[in-house]
Amino acid sequence: MSLILTGDEESLRDSVRRFVADRTPLSAVRELIAAGEPYDTGIWKQLSAQLGVAGLAIPEEYGGAGAGHAAMAVALQELGAGLVPSPLLASAVLAAGALLALDDMAAREALLPGIASGEAVATLALTGPAAAGPGARAAGAGVRAVGGAGVRAVGGAGGAARLFGEVAPVLNGAQASALLIPASGPDGLAVYLVDGAASGLTRVPLTTADPTRALARITLADTPARALAGNAASALSTAADLANLALAAEQCGAMAACLAMTTEYAKLRVAFGQPIGAFQGVKHRLADMETAWELGHAALRSAARSADESPADFPRDAAAARVLISGPYFTAAADTIELHGGIGFTWEHDAHLYYKNALSGKVLLGGPGDQLDRLASELGM
Amino acid sequence: MTADAPVPESAEQFRARARAWLEANAPRRSAAGGGDEVGSGAGLAGQRAFQAKLYDAGFAGITWPVQYGGQGLTNAEQIAFSQESWNFSLPAGAFVIGLGMPGPTLLECGSEEQKQRYLRPMLRGEEIWCQLFSEPGAGSDVASLQTSAVLDGDTWVLNGQKVWTSGAQYSDFGAVLARTDPAQPKHRGISMFIVDMHAPGVTVRPLRVATGSAPFNEVFFDNVRLGADALIGERNRGWDAAVMMLRSERITIGTLTVGRDNPLGFSKLRELAGQLDRLGDPAIRRRLAELYARQSAAGLFGRLLREEAMSGRLPGARGSVAKLAGAELGTFSADVAADVLGDAVAGYDTPELAAVLTAIVAVPGGAIAGGTNEIQRNIIGERVLGLAKDPGVDRQTPFNQLKVGTQKRQGAS
Repeated sequence: MSLILTGDEESLRDSVRRFVADRTPLSAVRELIAAGEPYDTGIWKQLSAQLGVAGLAIPEEYGGAGAGHAAMAVALQELGAGLVPSPLLASAVLAAGALLALDDMAAREALLPGIASGEAVATLALTGPAAAGPGARAAGAGVRAVGGAGVRAVGGAGGAARLFGEVAPVLNGAQASALLIPASGPDGLAVYLVDGAASGLTRVPLTTADPTRALARITLADTPARALAGNAASALSTAADLANLALAAEQCGAMAACLAMTTEYAKLRVAFGQPIGAFQGVKHRLADMETAWELGHAALRSAARSADESPADFPRDAAAARVLISGPYFTAAADTIELHGGIGFTWEHDAHLYYKNALSGKVLLGGPGDQLDRLASELGM
Repeated sequence: MTADAPVPESAEQFRARARAWLEANAPRRSAAGGGDEVGSGAGLAGQRAFQAKLYDAGFAGITWPVQYGGQGLTNAEQIAFSQESWNFSLPAGAFVIGLGMPGPTLLECGSEEQKQRYLRPMLRGEEIWCQLFSEPGAGSDVASLQTSAVLDGDTWVLNGQKVWTSGAQYSDFGAVLARTDPAQPKHRGISMFIVDMHAPGVTVRPLRVATGSAPFNEVFFDNVRLGADALIGERNRGWDAAVMMLRSERITIGTLTVGRDNPLGFSKLRELAGQLDRLGDPAIRRRLAELYARQSAAGLFGRLLREEAMSGRLPGARGSVAKLAGAELGTFSADVAADVLGDAVAGYDTPELAAVLTAIVAVPGGAIAGGTNEIQRNIIGERVLGLAKDPGVDRQTPFNQLKVGTQKRQGAS
């Protein structure tokens, strides 16, 4: 198991990087934001169909590339660097990850090929993983009670059920054609499949701190659903680990973009007769940003390898990577604004887009405290 | 097909031979990944014996020329040996400085006579070397050094004081920087010499540090006479040789691996927290979890740099990132240790707590040794990120007109 990229991973990185630069630069992302669109469906089509990014971590038998989670992390790092809005995290990471961790073959066959090709968008209503309670830990190693606390299911025959309640924030909840909703039903926690067109389903887009990340509030009122077979708690726990890896990867790329942008500016901007990067007040902040990035990046590489090669370490490594990237990225994004001075605080400058992305990414799917608790639990504390 | 000349060994054959030799002759590194302390616990005699065996087996000076005792091989063999030896703890710490810094500098800048005289005994562990750069008034700004060498006929007379010298107490020779022309700007009036550490006028005193122990030395030169052949490279060009020496300093990547027994490591502090019944405190659990994350990342970054180096991408100045990260990990660990121990930090009566306390007291030293955190940040800013250099108000001024350290200027000549 090597931490550095393989040749295949380097090619993937290069082609996604080129795609982002050519097809979806930040100027295009800004137009999308101005138009109020959650993502560019044309770009999504190219990303999934041409580059095959949506199917990277989906096995070939379900129409994916079977390239694994490490490959997905490589792609996410590049997309994160460009703040490219897409349903990749919701659909190809969270929903696909949950389906693969559950045992519902019918749902896998029905949903995964569409997710892999990008023709379908699914999501998982995974919200703020709470720390492992004593009960959850006793029930299964490190399994957390996640999501679904606000949704209740009333069972029928053969997995058919009706859902009641509310859950938010749900990634791409307003766009998804299939929603996986954790809920407590007659037999405890289960993941339910809800069709995007189901009756009694209300989806209200939220005003988001980060305009590149679409979120919605989902309300279920006697909404028809089907309980999926499999261990819901453990599947949700796996999905939360995959979320940690994916967010760490995106944020690692975005933090690198902040570092590059600010370093470049510190070389160009002159004050008091010198490029500002010559001043230790600026130079040392950038050196700290570089150091934090290197550490977070090393942790990311390790978590990406664990995801495919040593699953027992993956929950620990993914939480550690998230801890080492989410916080430092937020600091880096704030420093990016500050070190640019006034220009960095303007609407026209890209720094605020990263700042908002960092803010949102820090707290989504389990904030820093949750991650430290998760890590402590994985370490047996 | 026949050939009269012996077929040269391939890098892979070399690797297999190195592995077999290491298995037979070197202790394995502990599973926890610690160790690698200078000396590895073996006494000086044991280290000399090990280095001699290493030399005789053909694994010392792998890339050094054959005529000076080296193996005359390529980086491929050096990389293979480094990779294989990573799993072992080589008891040869006393030679690390000499082989890492003065050795390559002699190879690069030394005279033919110097190479013939010194390199082979250095490689075989027969003569130990130290490096004498830092002074009380010249730490981060080492080019402000005040030790002087004045020509008297055809011998140089060396006077001054060096400090923080590792291994001076058992070294046979040292590479010393001294000022040979104080009327030149500070970088241009320095020369490098070979000094016999057993010569009259050389005094080595242990330097006691904040923890109470004395892991370094102070070295005093009192009218030490050096022959003309002691000069390494050109007169007044010693700074170039020093920069070369510091560059060839082995990037000690991997030294960030924190062993299971490190008193400030995650394993130990977690164990202590359990004993002190502190794990019920969610704040303590979070602090320890963060320590685990930071500690493992520092180790992973070292591993990443090694993997990159093995695949041909040398770490260069990114070694400073490892150094800074290691020092900051130390500071964080000390803080977590104080949280875990609570008021037991202030008063204690067990050897285990005493070890933690000693380690906490040692932490600030890690932010200074080998270049302060601030110097590392300058290096990272300038050489990793490519930011502009500090203009330096002292670069063009003759040294004898500069203020230096905290000392009064000595009689300007």
